[in-house]
Amino acid sequence: MPIQTRRSEDGRTLTIKIEGRFDFSTHQAFRDAYEHGDQEVKGYVVDLSDTTYLDSSALGMLLLLRDYAGGDNASILIENCNSDVRRILAISNFEQLFAIR
Amino acid sequence: MNDRPHLDEEALAELQDVMDEEFDVLIHTYLSDSAERISSLRSALDEGDADALSRTAHSFKGSCLNIGAPRLGALCMEVEEAGRASRLSALEPLLASIESEFRQVRQGLERFLAD
Amino acid sequence: MEDAQSGNQPLRILIADDSDSDRLILQAMLRRLGHEVVEAANGGEAVERFRHASPQIVLLDAVMPGMDGMEAARQIKALAGERLVPLIFLTSLSDADALARCLEAGGDDFLTKPYNRVIIEAKINAFNRMRLMHETLSHQRDLIHEQHRKLTEEQEVAKRVFENVAHTGCLDAGSIRYHASPMSIFNGDILFACPRPDGGIQILIGDFTGHGLPAAIGAMPVAEIFYGMTSKGFSASDVLREINQKLKRILPAGMFCCAALIQADFALNQVQVWNGGLPDGWIIRGDGERLAMPSAHLPLGVLDSHRFDAAMAILQTSPGDTLMFMTDGVLEAASADGDMFGDAGVSAALQGRRDGQTPFEAVIDRLCEFSGGRLEQDDLTLVTLQMAEGGALEGLSDRLQLSALEGPAEWRCTYEIRDRTLGQFSPLPLLLHICMEVPGLRRRSGEIYTLLSELYTNALEHGILGLPSEWKATAEGFGRYYEERERRLNDISEHYIRFSLTHTMTDYGGRLVVVCEDSGHGFDYHQHRQPSGSGHGYAGRGLMLLHRLAGPLTFRERGNHVEIVYDWHFSEAGKTDDAAVHKPGVSHE
Repeated sequence: MPIQTRRSEDGRTLTIKIEGRFDFSTHQAFRDAYEHGDQEVKGYVVDLSDTTYLDSSALGMLLLLRDYAGGDNASILIENCNSDVRRILAISNFEQLFAIR
Repeated sequence: MNDRPHLDEEALAELQDVMDEEFDVLIHTYLSDSAERISSLRSALDEGDADALSRTAHSFKGSCLNIGAPRLGALCMEVEEAGRASRLSALEPLLASIESEFRQVRQGLERFLAD
Repeated sequence: MEDAQSGNQPLRILIADDSDSDRLILQAMLRRLGHEVVEAANGGEAVERFRHASPQIVLLDAVMPGMDGMEAARQIKALAGERLVPLIFLTSLSDADALARCLEAGGDDFLTKPYNRVIIEAKINAFNRMRLMHETLSHQRDLIHEQHRKLTEEQEVAKRVFENVAHTGCLDAGSIRYHASPMSIFNGDILFACPRPDGGIQILIGDFTGHGLPAAIGAMPVAEIFYGMTSKGFSASDVLREINQKLKRILPAGMFCCAALIQADFALNQVQVWNGGLPDGWIIRGDGERLAMPSAHLPLGVLDSHRFDAAMAILQTSPGDTLMFMTDGVLEAASADGDMFGDAGVSAALQGRRDGQTPFEAVIDRLCEFSGGRLEQDDLTLVTLQMAEGGALEGLSDRLQLSALEGPAEWRCTYEIRDRTLGQFSPLPLLLHICMEVPGLRRRSGEIYTLLSELYTNALEHGILGLPSEWKATAEGFGRYYEERERRLNDISEHYIRFSLTHTMTDYGGRLVVVCEDSGHGFDYHQHRQPSGSGHGYAGRGLMLLHRLAGPLTFRERGNHVEIVYDWHFSEAGKTDDAAVHKPGVSHE
C-alpha cells in the first residue's frame, strides 16, 4: 500500500505515511486515510519520508485535509520531506498553513 | 462384429415425444432418404468414387444415429472410413450388410409405427 | 431485456442440414423451446437465408453437398460483420482435425449427432447470453465513441471561447513575448495581459491545480476580473484581492491557482510583482545581471480575504530590462531520458545567452533542445516583458468604445477619502469613471488617469506621509521609501485627500479643472522651480509628467492645495495625439 496510517498510543494523533509519488492517483486512498478515522483524533502528522515526488494536486489534497481537520484551527504537521518535496512546499508558501519539519 | 441393437427403443420413445404428430412423417422421411442413400452408395461403389462414398456414408451415419438405429450407423461409419482410405475392395460385403441391416431397421420402425 | 438476460427470449435460428430427417428432428426440438426456425438444405441456401432472415444463431451441418458447412460458415461470419452471430456446427465428425477445421472456419461450437435435447437447450442459451453481452458491449462502445466525439467537439468550442477570453488583451504588444501550448488552457494554465489607463501594463500568468475542464473553468472569472479592473485603473493589489476572494468562494477546498501578477509602469520605469506559488520569476538586466523574484505568497484561492496578502514587491527597472515568468510546466519539461529541465535549465539558458538573443529565445531554444522538440505537446507557459521608455504602449484609448450618448457637460463634484481608507482604497478608478462620462474626455483616458494618479500619489506620499522623494534617487533608498510608506500608511489618523473636479464647456471644447487638497504640512512651493525633464533619479518625475500633460500647476495655501487645468478641443476629441493645452510652466498665486 502506498499509504499507511498509524494511531498514536493515546489515539489522538493520526500519522499518514505516503510512499512513492504523492499525486492525483493517491487521491482516494489519502482521503480514506483520514475520513474513516474516529472522533478522538485531534492532530495529524503527514509523514513524507518515503515520498519521492509531490505535485500540485497533492498540495490540493493537503488543503482538503486541513479543511477536514478544522481549517485555521487544524493541527497538522508535515514531516521528513526530502529536498525536492520541501522546495515545492516552499514555492507554494505552505509553511503559512502547515507546520513543516 | 457389431453388437449394437438394431433399434434404440428409448431414443425412439423420446423422438416420439419430441415429434408428436410429426413422428410418422419423420419415420417415412428417414426410410425414403435411407433407401435413396443406399442406392447412392451402390452407384458410387460401381463408379469407384471413394469420396462420394465416404460423404454419403457420413450423412447416412448422422441420420441413423439421430433416428435411433445405432447398428446401421456403425456400419455406415465403416464405409465412411474405408472410403476415406480408398479401400474399395472390402466394400462389397459391407454394403450387403448395410442393405440387410436396413431391412431389419425398416421392419422394426414399421412395427413401431403400427403400435 | 430481462427475459433476454435469463436466456428465455425466443430467437430466430437458422438450421442447415442436407439430411431431411435430421432437420425435422432439430426443428422440432427448437420449436419446443419456443424458437423460430429457418431451414436450409445446403450451404448456398444457408447463406441466402441468412442474408434475408437475419437469424440470431446459426446451426450448420459440416458436411453437405454443394457448398459445404465450412465455406458457408466463412461467408455467414463475413456477412455478420461486427454482430456476434453464434455459429454451431452439427456433426457426427469424430476426428480432431476435422473438428478443428470447423472452428477455424468461424464455428463457435459443435453439436454431435445423435442430438440431445438438454445439451441443445443449454448451448443455445449459453450462446444467446454471449450474444447479448456482445450486443451490450458494442452498444456501450458506440456510446463511448459518441460521447468522446461530442466531448472533443465541445472542447474545441470551449477552447475557442477561452481563447477569446484569454487573448483579447494586449499579449500581441511588441514588448511581450510568450509561449502557451494550444491546449494549455485545459491543463489549467492562464496568461492575460491588459493595458492600464496610465500607459502601463498588467500581466497575469497562472496555473490552476488539476487538468481538463475543472482546471479551465476558473479561468473565466479570473479573466473577467483581471481585464475589467485593470482597464479601469485598479492597482495590481486590488485586482489580486478581488481574484483571490472570487476563487476562494467558487473553488472547492483542494483547488487553487498558482499565479504571478506583474504591474509595469513605463513612465516611472518601475515594476510591481506578486508571486504566489509560481517558479522564480526573473528580471534580466540589460547587462545580463539577473535578479530572482521568488514566490512569496500562498497561491490564489487558498486564504480568506482577511488573511490574504496582496503586498507587491516594487522594483526599479531600466529600459531594456526583461521580466520573465513561467508556469511549473517549464521546470517539469522532460528530456527523452526522463530528466527534468528544472531551475538549473532556466539558469543555464539565461547564462549561456548568445549576443542578440533575447532571454525568451534563450529559454525556449534550450527547452526545445532539451525536450527533443516536443515543446508543443507540453503544458507550459512562458512570458517575458521588455521594459521601454515611457509610453511604450499607446492607443489604449482607441480601444475604448465611444458611447453614442451625449454625456454631461457642466458639472462639479467633490470626493474626499479619510484616514484608514487612504491606505486601503484607491479613488482613481471611480474618479476616472466620472470623467469618462464626458465624450470629449473619453479618448484621453490615459492622460486623465495619469493626472489624477500623480496628484493622488503626491498628496498621499509627500503631503500626508511626508516621504522625501530624494530617497528614491538611490537603489537602497528606493526600497526604504516603499517600506516606510507601508509603515506610515498603517497609522494614519486625522488625514484626508479631497478631489474637486469641475467640467465646463468652452467655445473650442471643454475644460476640466482638478483640485487636489490634502491635510498634510504642504511644502515650500516657491522653492520648487520648473522640474527638469532630465531629472535626477526618480524624484520629481511625477510633477514633470503633470507639466507635460496639462501645463500650469497652481499651488495654494501651504502647498497642500494643487490645481490643474486641462483643456480639450472638439477638433481633437476624436484623435489620439497630445492635447493642445497650455505650455508647460509653473505659476504661483
